[in-house]
Amino acid sequence: MKRRRLRLRFGWLEIAMLLAGAAFVSPCALALLNAFKTYPEIINDPLAWPEHLRWDNFEYIFTGMKLARPMLNSLLMCAGVIACLVTIAPMAAYSIMRRNMATGKLLRIFFLVGLTVPFQIIMVPMLKLFRMMNIQFTYLALLVHYVSWGLPLCIFIYSAFMATIPRELEEAAAIDGCGQVGTFWRIVFPLLTPCTITVVIFWGLWIWNDFMQAFIVMGPTRGQLVFVQLWKFLNDQYVQKWNHIFAGVVVLSLPVTVLYVVMQRRFVKGLTAGAVK
Amino acid sequence: MAAAPTFRRRGWVASVILCGPAVLLYGTFVVVPAVLGFAYSLTDWTGWETEPNFVGLDNFRELAGDERFASAVTFTLFETWMIVLFFTFGSLILAVLLDKLRSMKGLIRGLFFYPYILSILVVALLFKYVCNYNHGALNILLRAVGLGAWAQEWMADPDLVGYFIFAMVAWSALGFFTTLYLANLQTIPTQLYEAASIDGAGPVSVFTKIQLPMLVPTITTNLVLATIFGVNLFGQIVVTTEGGPGYRTATVGYYIYWLGVKNDRQGYASAVSFTVFAALVIVAIVQVALLRRRQVEL
Repeated sequence: MKRRRLRLRFGWLEIAMLLAGAAFVSPCALALLNAFKTYPEIINDPLAWPEHLRWDNFEYIFTGMKLARPMLNSLLMCAGVIACLVTIAPMAAYSIMRRNMATGKLLRIFFLVGLTVPFQIIMVPMLKLFRMMNIQFTYLALLVHYVSWGLPLCIFIYSAFMATIPRELEEAAAIDGCGQVGTFWRIVFPLLTPCTITVVIFWGLWIWNDFMQAFIVMGPTRGQLVFVQLWKFLNDQYVQKWNHIFAGVVVLSLPVTVLYVVMQRRFVKGLTAGAVK
Repeated sequence: MAAAPTFRRRGWVASVILCGPAVLLYGTFVVVPAVLGFAYSLTDWTGWETEPNFVGLDNFRELAGDERFASAVTFTLFETWMIVLFFTFGSLILAVLLDKLRSMKGLIRGLFFYPYILSILVVALLFKYVCNYNHGALNILLRAVGLGAWAQEWMADPDLVGYFIFAMVAWSALGFFTTLYLANLQTIPTQLYEAASIDGAGPVSVFTKIQLPMLVPTITTNLVLATIFGVNLFGQIVVTTEGGPGYRTATVGYYIYWLGVKNDRQGYASAVSFTVFAALVIVAIVQVALLRRRQVEL
């Protein structure tokens, strides 16, 4: 009986889907494989196993592409933006959801509108604003942009989650003489942890991976975040040295891949959180 | 509700502390630029150095006769059409298949979702490499199996480059749309499946009679999201073809970027972006309204 069930669980569908899935990610495997080869080796036969494992491509991305500094910068940028978002957004969501303000509903709409505005509309006026404030092409400008741009969705995610947690605790705290802000930080914020994890994953990944907005806000010459640096390196080359490119691609995707493998469920949940209603 | 009076007491101070930072940041760096953007669409502003002059609706008049804009709209619609079809129905089929798995669920789903966590620059580089004419893996594979005649300039051929962009987008976001369907499939009560199997229903009628009607809310979501996704296609163009060959693959988003950032015609770029935005909002509203009526209430 037991054996029969085991055989059943491994039907043709599972095998077919596994093969399809493997074929689906094969371009990534190809990049990994070719990151260990020399340029001629890749040109001759991209599918062949490397003659021997060589690490000079990986060395090159630090010596030639100078990716070490941008990696630190990107990491700091992620940390900074996330720190701002997980403090500012839940506070705003709390005040919109839990207070019987006349302006609460208005504020809700005010933030919801932000979800629909395309980046192209605000792009150049925003750059002009940064210029007027004398922070054009700085990390501060990029941080401010990421936070402001991320706020509507972040508030939206927090509000949706807040609707599911009971009010009784807060009311008890209020009766015990705890102020609004104190109630929020001591009682509500710890309850929001699952939501905060979602937000950290979503924005961490987004900022690490972002190329376009960093490229536009920081300008083509100044930006020192990982993918902007990779892009600048590619644009300075006459010949696309695929061995170097693959090494760069592998190293820059490695942190997110490791995190993804370790906590796949949280990742998938976090990344699709914004879409559900 | 009982605590409402206590809440109201030091009301506005708390409000300012809690809500102030969010309103200030979002207001200054998203709302103000958006409003300014609209104002600029009525001017001849060229970008950085100059002051904008009011020109009324001239920009919108120019738009009507703009050949490049027409070409961008055509290409965007072509891409959006394929993207919407694929993300609404292709990912639906994949989700139904993935939902049937009895083992290795996490692994197989994980494989299909994986490209979604990669940067668009990584995705673009992988596709640029695979589709390279001389030493791309795709052409090498074709030549190896004796189909060398099928080897193509995937990225430079004006007839093929549209499909190249589509393939890249489809590959990177398939997992996202599939996951939304999977989440919905899991909410279908098992009694429905049991009843169907007692009645002797095959997989096809289970799909058409149970799964499809139950999935309508997510079909709506995915349809709207895929439309927005297609119309806003922009970063993917910048990192691959930069609108080329010629301006064959310039999407509306890319055209706006090109006008505003590379060509210093910000006033006109704003007019284009607002026209597109308005069109998108109307389409999304129509889609939601049409599909809402088809939802099954349980």
